[in-house]
Amino acid sequence: MKRKVLRAILCISMAGMLLAGCGNNQSAPAATEPAEDANTEAEELGTDAQEGASTESTSNEGMMVYLVSKGFQHQYWQAVWQGAQEKAKELGVEVQMQGPDTESDIAQQVQMLNTAIQLQPDAIGLAALDVSALNDGIAQAQSAGIPIIGFDSGVPEAPEGAVYANAATDNYAAGALAAEETYKIIKDRILSTQGSVRIGVMNQDATAESIINRGLGFIDKMAELVIADGKTVSIVGNEKYVNDSQVTDKGEGGNVILDIAVPSKVEAALSSTDAQTLLNKEDILCIYGSNQFSGEGLVNGDANIGKLGKDVVGVAFDSGTVIKDAVKAGKLAGAVTQSPLDIGRKTVELAVKAAKGESVADVDTGCQWFTAENMEDPSIAPNLYD
Amino acid sequence: MEGLKNNPIVKAIGTQRLVAFIALIVIYLAFGLLNNKFFSYATIVNIFDASYYIGFMAIGITFVIATGGIDLSIGTVLSCSALMAGYLNVSKGLPIVPTILLCVAIGALFGLMNGWMVSKMKLPPFIATLGSMMLSKGLGAIVTMSQSVTWKSSTSEEGWYRNIFRINSQSGVIVPTGFILLIASAIVMAIVLNKTRPGRYILALGSNLEATRLSGVDVDKWQTLAYVFSGLFAGIAGVSYASIYQVILPGAGSGFEMDAIAGVVIGGTSMSGGNGTIAGTMIGVFIISVLKTGLPFIGLNTAWQQVATGLVLIIAVFIDVCNRRRKG
Repeated sequence: MKRKVLRAILCISMAGMLLAGCGNNQSAPAATEPAEDANTEAEELGTDAQEGASTESTSNEGMMVYLVSKGFQHQYWQAVWQGAQEKAKELGVEVQMQGPDTESDIAQQVQMLNTAIQLQPDAIGLAALDVSALNDGIAQAQSAGIPIIGFDSGVPEAPEGAVYANAATDNYAAGALAAEETYKIIKDRILSTQGSVRIGVMNQDATAESIINRGLGFIDKMAELVIADGKTVSIVGNEKYVNDSQVTDKGEGGNVILDIAVPSKVEAALSSTDAQTLLNKEDILCIYGSNQFSGEGLVNGDANIGKLGKDVVGVAFDSGTVIKDAVKAGKLAGAVTQSPLDIGRKTVELAVKAAKGESVADVDTGCQWFTAENMEDPSIAPNLYD
Repeated sequence: MEGLKNNPIVKAIGTQRLVAFIALIVIYLAFGLLNNKFFSYATIVNIFDASYYIGFMAIGITFVIATGGIDLSIGTVLSCSALMAGYLNVSKGLPIVPTILLCVAIGALFGLMNGWMVSKMKLPPFIATLGSMMLSKGLGAIVTMSQSVTWKSSTSEEGWYRNIFRINSQSGVIVPTGFILLIASAIVMAIVLNKTRPGRYILALGSNLEATRLSGVDVDKWQTLAYVFSGLFAGIAGVSYASIYQVILPGAGSGFEMDAIAGVVIGGTSMSGGNGTIAGTMIGVFIISVLKTGLPFIGLNTAWQQVATGLVLIIAVFIDVCNRRRKG
C-alpha cells in the first residue's frame, strides 16, 4: 500500500518536473515587458520634442498598456504580441496581453476586459470577438476614463467616443483583394462554362466582425466582377452571410453560385467536413478560406480528395505552416496575409498617444496577396509566420 | 419477434447491438441514396478520419463505464498530451518516436491519476475526472503558452508519423492505415475485457463492488487499471488527431469525451456498469462519424449532427430499456 502511494507520488512529481522543463524561458503570454532600453526612450522623447507634436513632456515611465486579444492559439496572435512587445520596449512602456482559450469563448473575453479595467491601465487595446457582449465593459472603461484602442478587427459599433482609434486591417478590402486575385485565375473558366459553377466561401464563424467582413468583402467583390462580365450570381448557405451580402439572388439560380459554409463550432474536424462537402459538389470551381482556421480546414479536407490545385482553385487568408506548405506545393493558388507585426506595433503606439491625451486616428495596417512565387520577398516574408 | 430473439446469432450479438448495427447500415445507405458521392472511396476515408480520435477514446472509456464510473477528462487529456508532446517536438527538437510515446504516456499518467483518485482517495468518478479535465485543459495551455501547436507536415523529415493513420502517396493512392490500427486495438481490448482475468474483474466490480472485494479481489488495482486504459487510449487518440488534423488548438478537446461516451452508450454498454462491449462501442462510434461526415452532404448544417446524434442516442437506449423491462 505504502509503496503504491509512493509510486503514485513519484509519477506525479515526474510529471511536474516534465512540465517545469517545458516551461521555457520565453515570456509567457501574460508576461510583462519592462522598460529596458533607456537610450531608445530618451531618443523617442527627443524626437517628440523636436517635432513639437506633443504638448506633454512627461516620460512614458510607469505607463501600462493592456491588450485583450481574441486568443493566442493562432500563431497570428503571437506575431501581434511580438510587434506589441517591440514597440513597448522602444517607447519604454509596460505591455500585457491576455486572450481567451478559443475564439468561441466570448464570455471569457468579457471577463478579461473586466479584469483589465480593474487593473486600471493607462490604455486598453481590444480585439472584440463579439461587439454586443463587450458593450458593458466598454462603457465601464469609458466612465473610468481609460482610452480603448481597437486592433485586429477592432471594436466596430462601440458606443460613441469609447474607442479612440483602430489599428486594424481593413478586412472588407482584404476580402475584396482575395476576390480580385482569385478572379484573375478563374475568369476564363467562369466565362467558358455553359452551366453553373460554384465558389465555396469557408468562414470560421458568423459572429466576429473581422471574419464576417473578410467573407462579405470577398462575396461582394466576386459578385461585382462576375456581373461586370455579363454572368449572373446567386448565393446559398449560412444565413448571416446570405442576408448581409449585396447579392440579391438567394438560391441556386446563378451562373456563379456562392456557397457559404460556417461550422457549428471552431473545431478542425468540422471545418474539414465543410471543405469535403464543398469539394464533392459537381460544379465546384474554387474555395476561399477566410482565416487561418478555415484555410487549414480547406487543406485538411482535401487530403483524401486531392482536387485542390487540380480541378479546384484554393485560396486562403493568413499564414501558418499548413497554409504556407500548401501554397508552396501549389495546392493553394495564393493567400492574403495581414501585417500582424504592424498591428501590434501600431496598437501600442496609438495606445500610448491616447493615454497621453494626444489626438489619434485610425490606421490601416494593410494586407498583401502572396503566392508560391513571391513568398520569399522581403516585403512579404516577415509577415508569414509558422 | 420471440423467434428472432431466440435466434442464436441475435443472442450472441445482443439486441441493442444488432439494432445499432442495422441503424449504422441504414444511415450509411440513406446518405448514399440521397447523394451518391457518399459512396466514394474518399468519403469512406473521410468517415474513418473522423472516427479515429473518437474511436480510441471510446475503447478506453468503455472500461471505465464498465466499472460503473465515468471519465470526463479524456477529451482535454487528448489535447493536453498532443499539445505537450507536439510542442516538445516542434519547438524543442524532441525526435518523433519519443514524442509519440510521450503523448501516449501523458495520457496514461492522467489515467493513473484518475484511477488513484477514484480507488484510493474514494472520490466520486464524476468529480475526480471533472477535476482532471480542468487540470489537463489548463496545463496544455500553460505549456504551450496558449498557442496552437502544428505538428510536423508530411513533407518534413519526421512527417512519416502521419502514415500511421493515413498514407497519402504521391501517386494519389490513399490507405486508411488508422482504420486497421483502430480495429486491431478494438479486437485486442475486446479480448482483454471479456476473456482475461483483469477484464472479468473490471466487469465484476462494475456490477457489485463490495461483493467483488469480499471475494478477495484487489478491486482498487483493477479499478485503477480501467482508468489507466482510458487515459492511455486518450493519448493514442491524441496522436491520431494530430496526424489527421495536424493543428491542435488549446481549447480543442473539450466536448470530445461526450462523443466518445455517446458512442459507448449507443453500442449497448450500460452506464450503471457491469457490462461492456467493445464491438458495440465501435458500432456506436461509426454511427457518430457517419452522421458527422454525412449530414453536410445532404445540405444540413453541422449543428444538425448534434441533433441527430442526440436522437440516435435516446432511441438506442430506449430500445434497450424496453427490452430489459420485457425480460425482467
